[in-house]
Amino acid sequence: MSQEVYEVTIWARGVFQDMEGRHASLLMANAADLGGKFVQAWDDYADLPDRVGVPLRKYVRLSDEEIEMRFVYVNNNPNLVVIMDDTIVKGMNILRGMPKGGSLIVNTRRTPDEILAFIPNKELLANIVCVDASGIAADAAIDFMGSEGGVEVASVGAGISAPLVGAASKVCDMFDVKNVVKVAANKDGVQKGFDSAQVKAL
Amino acid sequence: MSRFIIPKHLEVPLGAVLPAPVKEQPGMITGNWRTERPVIDHEACTTCLNCFIYCPDACWHLDEKTEQMVWNADYCKGCLICINECPANCLEPVNELEFPDGVVRLEKPF
Ligand code: SF4
Ligand code: SF4
Repeated sequence: MSQEVYEVTIWARGVFQDMEGRHASLLMANAADLGGKFVQAWDDYADLPDRVGVPLRKYVRLSDEEIEMRFVYVNNNPNLVVIMDDTIVKGMNILRGMPKGGSLIVNTRRTPDEILAFIPNKELLANIVCVDASGIAADAAIDFMGSEGGVEVASVGAGISAPLVGAASKVCDMFDVKNVVKVAANKDGVQKGFDSAQVKAL
Repeated sequence: MSRFIIPKHLEVPLGAVLPAPVKEQPGMITGNWRTERPVIDHEACTTCLNCFIYCPDACWHLDEKTEQMVWNADYCKGCLICINECPANCLEPVNELEFPDGVVRLEKPF
């Protein structure tokens, strides 16, 4: 399969981050769509219904050309991996299948070096971005509406997904932070995530 | 006596001998569900075994040699029920990234 399609895998914790994970995938897709890309965003079917704390995957595909990967429902070679809870790095081989030169975005209060200590296959990474998305979005109300397939266009990106995707736009050129601000409910959060993200090139 | 007659087609052997599930089930590791782990203060623990009884994943057991509770990092899913049930308040939740151990790093979630 050609690698013109930019693949994103988002790892979130079950139930309490399910909606936020989906919102992160929708934000990236919507922002890239505004920038004229072809997009797909969906949940991993096998991970649902989720249980509390279980690592879940959400996916995005972004491309300059029409995406013709039909009937493939997982991103086997993610160029960008987003971790919505930093402890997932101990529980999953999150860089599985990543082509060399990928990016990793982590929601954490820790530094990139502290996170890298838990990633044995870090030679695949071109850069790592750490952002305290939970801290930035702490005052944003968290509810479970929109979980399990609900569509809530008005409030997409009210919580931790906004600063995370803002930080992701720092290393991913498929979507622009201006477009993320346009599509996210918490516009301030996107900008704060973009501004406070710690980028470390490897 | 006649009340206790069981029809022939419903008769089943009384009980069966099965191997006890004494081993761990490596096909269902739940250690990566955890964001916080219970950390025990052995001094304060009274080995009352409440944590052993209440843990849904049987992650606490008493080591009879050392007389200390032992925790299982591969299967503890971080529900923190044991902390809720400990009468001696000797368990404390600590963020998982504080520890280099307890890494399960699965290839796939399921
Ligand atoms: S419940 Fe608390 S006091 Fe009782 S054995 Fe467990 S850790 Fe020790
Ligand atoms: S946190 Fe939950 S799974 Fe872990 S030892 Fe305590 S009761 Fe068991």
